[in-house]
Amino acid sequence: MPVKPVKQKLVVHNDTALVIQRYFNGAALKNYSAQKEFQYGNGGYAGESLWTRFWKWFWSLFDTDDKSILGRIEQYVLIALGIAALVFLILKLVGVDALNVVRRKPLSATLPYNESVENIYETDLDAELEKAIAHQNYRFAVRILYLRSLRQLSDAGLIKWDINKTNSIYINELTDAEQRIAFKILTRQFEYVWYGEFIIDMPVFTKISTRFNDFKVKAV
Amino acid sequence: MEDELFEQRTDLSKLSSAVEQIKATLAQIIVGQHHTIDLILAGILADGHILIEGVPGVAKTLTAKLIAKAIDARYSRIQFTPDLMPSDVLGTSIFNPKNSAFEFKPGPIFGNIILIDEINRSPAKTQSALFEAMEERQVTIDGQTYKMEEPFIVLATQNPIEQEGTYRLPEAQLDRFIFKVEIKYPTLEEELTIITQQHQQNPIDQLSHISPVLSIQDIVSLRQVVKGLHVEPKLLEFTAKIIHETRNNKSLYLGGSPRASLAIINAAKALAAIKGRDFITPDDIIFIAPPVLRHRIMLTPDKEMEGVTPDEIVTQIIQKIEVPR
Repeated sequence: MPVKPVKQKLVVHNDTALVIQRYFNGAALKNYSAQKEFQYGNGGYAGESLWTRFWKWFWSLFDTDDKSILGRIEQYVLIALGIAALVFLILKLVGVDALNVVRRKPLSATLPYNESVENIYETDLDAELEKAIAHQNYRFAVRILYLRSLRQLSDAGLIKWDINKTNSIYINELTDAEQRIAFKILTRQFEYVWYGEFIIDMPVFTKISTRFNDFKVKAV
Repeated sequence: MEDELFEQRTDLSKLSSAVEQIKATLAQIIVGQHHTIDLILAGILADGHILIEGVPGVAKTLTAKLIAKAIDARYSRIQFTPDLMPSDVLGTSIFNPKNSAFEFKPGPIFGNIILIDEINRSPAKTQSALFEAMEERQVTIDGQTYKMEEPFIVLATQNPIEQEGTYRLPEAQLDRFIFKVEIKYPTLEEELTIITQQHQQNPIDQLSHISPVLSIQDIVSLRQVVKGLHVEPKLLEFTAKIIHETRNNKSLYLGGSPRASLAIINAAKALAAIKGRDFITPDDIIFIAPPVLRHRIMLTPDKEMEGVTPDEIVTQIIQKIEVPR
């Protein structure tokens, strides 16, 4: 026997909940739209930073339309020079002399020259000698005699004058044995008077002066 | 020649004869090394301690022993080892049950000439034990200060090559040595003389035949003579400029100390006295500056990488400073 379908009554429920419509805050939107960061249109676009523009310009130097061999070589040379300059700058910043690392030779210390106390080429030695003798400053006079001898030897090309050389270096520069012995004696006398501060009087100065004058004649 | 013109101000005859005798005594066993012997003698006369550096077999210890033998003084030898303790060097207080009190037993440092062999084999702890003794000539233990006898000379040796089991000397201790004397290999002629003289006779056996040349009193009086030698003020300025430049030089991480300035002047005076002069010259300062400074200054790491030596930097500095004349 067939089953008869039972019809059910359909009940409709209406949604009576209150819907609250929300709106954007106009003032806040206005505030945001006034800020540069929220202006996405072409007019408000900040553009590339200086850094980006620098690198674009930098790479444009290498981006040449010249496809010839010469153009490519120029491009590679520029790149190589740029890399070399960068390496040099880095080494310089860390205090390493790049050339010296390659040479493996000691770097000479860079020191400023001290002011010259007595440059034999800037002083009128004869006038100074006369002045020293007139003031009976025989110690100073012996010094002037010695400096004058050094200038004579330097003028004659027998020694190479340099304020940083010691007396013994000048003695060793003299090639003539007789001259070397004579100059060694004068040097010792100068050293006794100047560094040893031995007090000398007129007779002793006369003897020393004669020896210096004899040497002067021989040197010339 | 200058004797005709200049009167002798200081009597250096005793010093000259003593130096000649010591050199002659050393020459019986040591071949060559004239530069080293001059420096060691100058160091002793300048009241300094000397660090002798050289590769094994170049007679570092033998030279130090000979110097000690030539002076009639209390001699001690300390072999520095990694396990050596400060009390092994300085001494220690020991309980005496007889009188129920602690008694100080002096260590080998209490002598006149102390030979410290292989000084860099002990760690900094033991090396630091020498600080007070070397500079202040005294040792303080358990609150009690013990004065050293005069003269007090430390002759230390070290080997520059071996790194295994060695410790770098602290800067404070290096500064207490007036010189670092470097003993180089002998020349071919010297090598031949050494083997000719010594292939049948051990130089150590010859040591027993060496008789003292100087007494303790001689050393003390000769040091007084050296101390009184004349120094022209411009040479003091020259020395100060050299040291000052070491502190400002870009190649150096550490420059010379004021103790180094004093060491140069005192050693130059001793050298001048050995040469028979009672005053110093720029040549003396220039000769003495590298051994005084080479262990005191420190190169910057990049200079070390470049293979630059302290002596080269000292020479460059001196070459840039005007010689007072």
